[in-house]
Amino acid sequence: MKIKNLTGISIASAMTVLGSSAFADCGDITMADMNWPSATLMANVDKIILEAGYGCSIEMIVGATTTTFASMNEKGQPDVAAELWINAVREPLNAAMAEGRLHSAVNGPITDLGEGWWIPPFTAEKHPELKTVLDILDHPELFPDKEDPSKGAFIGCPAGWGCQLANINLFRAFEMEKKGWVLIDPGSQAGLDGSLIKANERGDNWFGYYWAPTSIIGKYGMKLVPFGVPFAGNENWDGCIAKAEQDCDDPKPSAWTVSEVHTVVTDRFINQAGVAMDYFAKRIIPGSVMGAMLVFMEEEQADGPDAAVEFMSLHEDLWMQWLPADVAAKVKASL
Amino acid sequence: MSLFDKFPAMERTDLRDLKKGIDSSFKEFSRSWGESIEAFFDPLFYFLVNFEKLLLATPWPIIIGIVAGLSYLGSRSWKLSAGAAISFLAIGYLGMWENTMSTVALISVATFICIAFGIPIGVAMSKSDRLQSFITPILDIMQTIPIFVYLLPVVMLLGIGKVPGLIAVCVYAMPPIVRLTNLGLRLVDKEILEAADAFGSNYRQRLFKVQLPLALPNIFAGVNQTIMMALAMVVIASMIGVKGLGVPVLQSIQNQYLALGMMNGLAIVALAIIFDRVSQKYGKRLQRHREGGNDV
Repeated sequence: MKIKNLTGISIASAMTVLGSSAFADCGDITMADMNWPSATLMANVDKIILEAGYGCSIEMIVGATTTTFASMNEKGQPDVAAELWINAVREPLNAAMAEGRLHSAVNGPITDLGEGWWIPPFTAEKHPELKTVLDILDHPELFPDKEDPSKGAFIGCPAGWGCQLANINLFRAFEMEKKGWVLIDPGSQAGLDGSLIKANERGDNWFGYYWAPTSIIGKYGMKLVPFGVPFAGNENWDGCIAKAEQDCDDPKPSAWTVSEVHTVVTDRFINQAGVAMDYFAKRIIPGSVMGAMLVFMEEEQADGPDAAVEFMSLHEDLWMQWLPADVAAKVKASL
Repeated sequence: MSLFDKFPAMERTDLRDLKKGIDSSFKEFSRSWGESIEAFFDPLFYFLVNFEKLLLATPWPIIIGIVAGLSYLGSRSWKLSAGAAISFLAIGYLGMWENTMSTVALISVATFICIAFGIPIGVAMSKSDRLQSFITPILDIMQTIPIFVYLLPVVMLLGIGKVPGLIAVCVYAMPPIVRLTNLGLRLVDKEILEAADAFGSNYRQRLFKVQLPLALPNIFAGVNQTIMMALAMVVIASMIGVKGLGVPVLQSIQNQYLALGMMNGLAIVALAIIFDRVSQKYGKRLQRHREGGNDV
């Protein structure tokens, strides 16, 4: 068994040596292909650049935030998560970083991103008095729930997502039940998107959780509603709001925590492909560029690899700055 | 030669325009017809809402009494009836009562609708080869098309909640009862039908007193499969905002809560087994009656 494995590895490494003499040390890298558009775009851009520029051989592993992180944390695979939203996995990630098993390659690979509570633009226009979440909470009658029209419907985050706990606890913190609201669990991204699209297409009011950068937010011009209360501190957020309901006895009303997104890599990746760390440190995509790419992906129905090619040809000036000249030339030649 | 190197696929831009066209015409359709389609399903929706409210408002001992009583009526077996009561007690004790009531409401209505529509469709299919060749591919689509393909369109049309959940469940759970009703009726011995004709039975007598009773074993196999598939769809229904046992299952999958997932999963299994055993025992009793030979 062991012998077989060894020969397998030596054959594989021999092949990579033959395939790319300059950066033979990069070798096989596994990369998370996360299941939402901006992340799959970033992962595919990374794939093009690491393969063409640094001679890595990359295998994509499909996954969601928590599953991908659990796998990175427990098994050290995949090696790279291009767009890891930290809020959902902060504590175990901090532990792993302290132990030196995982590393942050860059803080904020995309600018202008965040989570929060949104309303459609026509609702904001028709009801200019709804300036903050606090204002909206006084008017549940504007957002009637279908099952019980006497209550207002707040569309939360799908069951099992990291944001679900925060939405449940903020729902409690703002005493929304007492104010005549119900928390609707959309169950999945399809449920959440479908309800948002339906409301926008029909011109119905909608009040719920979403995040940017996303094509759906850009496409319908959804408005992020300020909470009307300040961020009530990390202790309240990390120690209560982001925890399960039974671990959070006294949630205080708070604005949404600033979303932290990192590109996270394993220790193995640094040892094996350390040169690429400079690339990750510089690879920062402006929110406006990402927003345009997401609308492109949605409208053209492009998948990650297609969008990455489009990105490389559209934004050459951007990615050229991320790379040393010789690497950039190699990437350009490969396109 | 180049023709053979690469498949002569549609131009990328044409293909994209085609896809975009389909998408925008669906959105157009949903904008202009969504409200009336929603209104069409409203009676069903309010029935589901009120049925669930009724189940939740009824004190639990009464529900358990009804479950045990119905089990006994269906199966005439004290063991099964006691087993059903004990499962419900365990479900309630483990804190899954409300979710179970929501699931029972949805699944019993879904199963009822599937059977109420499925058996007549199966009967019609068994009468006409042309209809059979038309409906069979539709059933194939219903059973094999990946659920996520139609979840989003259904939600865009009807919103999230009970009705789209019910539709998703029925799309998946109805085919077995249709197929097996059709099969059972087609397997009835031709000579028996000739005999029935010879005794001068009319269409109605032939169907209800000869064909359907003889096809019962197959029909009840279909009922079994429909119930099982409906309950298997509970988790999927929760993905479009249906309350019930599926919600904690979804939660547990993504958070690695093993015990939570297992408990709610087993509650779904318990419901499936109770629904199934009772209906199967009921079916067997119907057939025993027939075998006794005093009703045909």
